[in-house]
Amino acid sequence: MRMAASGAGVFGFLRELGETASSLWWQFFDWLAQVPFRQLVVTWVLALLLACTPVLLPKQALAFILISCGLKVLAGGKRKAEIEAREAAAHAGTESMERRLVEAQMAALQAQVEPHFLFNTLALIGQLIETDPPQAARIHEHLIDYLRSTLPQMRSRGGGTLGRQIALSRSYLAIMQARMKARLAVSIDVPPELESATFPPMMLQILIENSIKHGLEPKIEGGRIDIRARATGSTMEVEVRDDGIGFSRYAGDGVGLTNVRERLKLLYGARAELLIETPADGGCRALIRLPFTPDIFAKAGP
Amino acid sequence: MNPTALIADDEEPMRDMLRKRLQDCWPALSIVAEAANGVEAVALAGQLRPDIVFLDIRMPGISGIEAARLLFNRCHIVFVTAYDQYAIEAFEQGALDYLLKPVGGERLTTTVARLKSRVGRQPDDIERQLGRLLAGGAVKPARSYLHWIQAQVGNSLRMISTREILFFRADEKYTRVQTAQGEVLIRKTLKELAEELDPDEFWRIHRSTLVRVDAIAAVTRDLRGRQMVRVRHFAEELEVSRGNTHLFQQM
Repeated sequence: MRMAASGAGVFGFLRELGETASSLWWQFFDWLAQVPFRQLVVTWVLALLLACTPVLLPKQALAFILISCGLKVLAGGKRKAEIEAREAAAHAGTESMERRLVEAQMAALQAQVEPHFLFNTLALIGQLIETDPPQAARIHEHLIDYLRSTLPQMRSRGGGTLGRQIALSRSYLAIMQARMKARLAVSIDVPPELESATFPPMMLQILIENSIKHGLEPKIEGGRIDIRARATGSTMEVEVRDDGIGFSRYAGDGVGLTNVRERLKLLYGARAELLIETPADGGCRALIRLPFTPDIFAKAGP
Repeated sequence: MNPTALIADDEEPMRDMLRKRLQDCWPALSIVAEAANGVEAVALAGQLRPDIVFLDIRMPGISGIEAARLLFNRCHIVFVTAYDQYAIEAFEQGALDYLLKPVGGERLTTTVARLKSRVGRQPDDIERQLGRLLAGGAVKPARSYLHWIQAQVGNSLRMISTREILFFRADEKYTRVQTAQGEVLIRKTLKELAEELDPDEFWRIHRSTLVRVDAIAAVTRDLRGRQMVRVRHFAEELEVSRGNTHLFQQM
């Protein structure tokens, strides 16, 4: 038993040694394939210098130079191409995903600042400067906040949080309330512990703008919009509901909703979805459902 | 008698502003009413017979352009808009008067001068120009296809975008709607759907199947020589009936 065990141990050790040697050889080979000739020449010069000292024998140094030169010339090019092709293939998948995501994001952001909204808000500010300067200053500030988060050139890189997205939408809704007055009522119900949750930029805003533009603005008496977020287990739901005119089944899907759907698919695959529903009492309900990781550092609500 | 005017805009601050500016610029003009939407504008204009109507273009109910059509030949119409690229282009080509928000300055003075000279005369026939406005994209009456499918899911009425749908398949009295996430049944028949959907978006490959063109991954032939369509994100293959094989001839 003992003998067998030690025999197996020796055998295992030898095999390991062989594997290490082979992996070292291939590492050396890969290095040789990829190293530029200039650097290789410098290495040769160093080897020659070492060969002049008693550390290395000149024969070995010469052999190293000859072998590495021969290998580089004969097999280096092919090996290099192989390595590059493998790396490129590995990167290609993630790269095209990233590119598509960035493109989708840019499209969303560019589509967002609607000139109609901008001009009407500027006209409102112009009017308020004369009649109600403090209100003009407030609307002006809201517009700046809105543009800061909406214009692609202004948006900072990196993921957004739900809290940040809610803040942006609050600015937008404050402007719309100043314009629509009593025709627009707003309620926002987001638990404080969800504010630090990761949430892709501009998705909530697209849903809210849709509700206003297609549901409430065309409705003579106006209506209300309710924004709600909740988390159950590892899923977070963000809902935008309005009691507007509801939307036509013949209306195009629009750039906005398609973009939200596309980005959810790219970011979360099948783990996220965008649902649009017509509640029994009219209006429209849009819901984004996505994976949620509770933030252990966030303060729990009171 | 003083000339009379009506202001129609869904946004109250904008009505206030226009009224104030008009009072400064043309004190003799009496503003007899304000309307908050297109329907109200037409009703009030019919009732009060103002000489001039200032109409915002985007209003709930009916738009300013439609309202103008109903009011034409009865009063002088001035459109007021913050931004309507099609409309502005159309106005610039013709005699229709328009104001850009925020209203004021020389532009308003010019409009007021023009209106002063016209009040009392018969309004211009603007029908032809309105026709061009309506055709120019300010209002689009184009043929539209079904873009959303309504389906009862549990207690709610779900709206499914046609872009999410892989295919429709007739299932006795119902139609099965297949998306990458799952399937739902709807009451609409395949025949009704085929008539309402964009024929470039969905192809009828079989008596009982409508497939979304974008979702087609490949078309193959099985052992019996039938053409089969493979759809993205979906395992099952869909049969192409003999009469519809021409759809994939050039592929």
